[in-house]
Amino acid sequence: MNKMKAPFQVPAHLHATAPVEYRQGERDNVRLMVLDPLTGQRKHTNFHDIMNIFQAGDVLVLNQSRTIPSSLHATGTRGDVEVRLARKIDEHRFEVLLLGTTYEEGDQIYFQNGFFATVEGNGNEYPLQVVNFKLSGVSLMEFIYEYGSPIYYEYINDPWPLNKYQTVYSSTPGSIEMTSAGRAFTWGMLSSLVKKGVHLCYVTLHTSLSYYGNNKWPTPSNHPELYSIPRETVDTINDAKAEGRKVIAVGTTVVRALESAVIEGHLTQQNSVLTDLYINGNYSLKITDALLTGFHEPEASHLDLLKAFIDEAVLLEAYNEALKQEYLWHEFGDMNLIITGAS
Amino acid sequence: MKKTIMITGGSKGLGKSLALGFAKQQHRVAICARGENDLKAVEEQIETLGAEVVATKADMSDAADVEKFVSIVEDRFGSVDVLINNASIFGPGPRQLLDYTDESFSNVLKVNLMNPFLVTKRVLPGMIANRSGSVINLTSEAGRTGFAEWGAYGISKFAIEGMAETWAAEVAEYNIRINMVDPGEIDTAMHDRAVPDCDYDLAQPEERLDVFFYLASDQSSKHNGERFEAATFVNEAGVSNE
Repeated sequence: MNKMKAPFQVPAHLHATAPVEYRQGERDNVRLMVLDPLTGQRKHTNFHDIMNIFQAGDVLVLNQSRTIPSSLHATGTRGDVEVRLARKIDEHRFEVLLLGTTYEEGDQIYFQNGFFATVEGNGNEYPLQVVNFKLSGVSLMEFIYEYGSPIYYEYINDPWPLNKYQTVYSSTPGSIEMTSAGRAFTWGMLSSLVKKGVHLCYVTLHTSLSYYGNNKWPTPSNHPELYSIPRETVDTINDAKAEGRKVIAVGTTVVRALESAVIEGHLTQQNSVLTDLYINGNYSLKITDALLTGFHEPEASHLDLLKAFIDEAVLLEAYNEALKQEYLWHEFGDMNLIITGAS
Repeated sequence: MKKTIMITGGSKGLGKSLALGFAKQQHRVAICARGENDLKAVEEQIETLGAEVVATKADMSDAADVEKFVSIVEDRFGSVDVLINNASIFGPGPRQLLDYTDESFSNVLKVNLMNPFLVTKRVLPGMIANRSGSVINLTSEAGRTGFAEWGAYGISKFAIEGMAETWAAEVAEYNIRINMVDPGEIDTAMHDRAVPDCDYDLAQPEERLDVFFYLASDQSSKHNGERFEAATFVNEAGVSNE
């Protein structure tokens, strides 16, 4: 569990409850705190300032994983249950979180249209369980898209549609929760960055559940997620590292994917492999130089990962300032860029 | 090289011929349509040809259905290499615009214009990530000339040509091409509706596939934002699908 659990609390009015485009018209109208990890200096600006901060030759790494509708409702002999998909295991089995009541091995749960699944046993860690769906492959995906919705956490007031839980550049479906760090980017901004000489490249890391409810959080060292890194990304990043150019990760998921794929100091190609890498203050980053991310709750393992970029005390000071400055938290909130020399 | 070819409206007419034509070349084929029975029949024919297929009942003018269809295909095949925006309706008619109801006009534009917009917007991010892709939009002579009594159909095709050119200009930097094909007059149910008393011979849809095979192939990588006429294409390019 994160040591910074006590030091700060996010007041209710700083939970972003709606996509920014409903508040400010466009998805890129968010605020940006630029944080220098070496000096601790902060700059409070808007997201568009990124156009001035990123330089020709920089490599911007995006997670192209796309959010799937991961919340399904079901019933059974033990009562109604919300089935939150946590991770796809194979063509017909998912690791899931069953919310609402307790189901045990061998129990069947029933969805719409007479479709059902069987609880097979425990998942990777409590309280996750494994369910075996009656359907598989394309048919199972059709069912999930027909009847599923995004996962709505407590601070979300309205059932926003699935397309609000996507970055503009996401394509490969598989994430349980939105890879939200890149949500503010528009194609206009990305295109301008390319014209400026910034290199865009992609990884895929399908996010798992980040919260189990009832104040339970995943164990960071036991939280497998599937990722891929294509050859083009490997070449682009290894060239940049050799030439001393900056590699900027858009999101903690990108950091996890990149750092998981390092062999003898070099990024390597990966195709749909699981990572259990736990990045925290003890971890020495090998690929990633800078990070664009949101603001994280004190209990989240994402915050541990930030400590690989920045001293814990400096981070805490910056977060307390962000609270005073009333930055918005969570997937629809404001952004934080941790980068040297820009603040 | 085997590619994933996505064809909207793949259960009838030209869409069906395209699906079977690409399946014969052993490409992976993804088709959707609103009618399930015809769709499943084409799916079986494709399987008989030994090609991989995903066939999903979906309405491509509905964003949620577009998300479902494209995501299922990406999940199954990994990517979409070629998108053929084929699905469209003729609407009421032949009928003068003055006799069009507001609802009919709106519906034709929704089906014929929102559909390629939504599908292309959903497919492009994957193509951009791969720095490769070909989008083919179906147009018509009625997309350049306003014919009496062809109503909102022709108007929607004018708009599709504008949309294709706009998108072509925006995505060229990512090595993606977006072109248009006018298949010409062919023997389909839509042509029966548009020209009810047709008294001349029509080409069969499968006679007009060469230009699609060409635009789906890497041979056409230099073409972007261009308009092709299927009826004259073979002679111009000297390319055969055989």
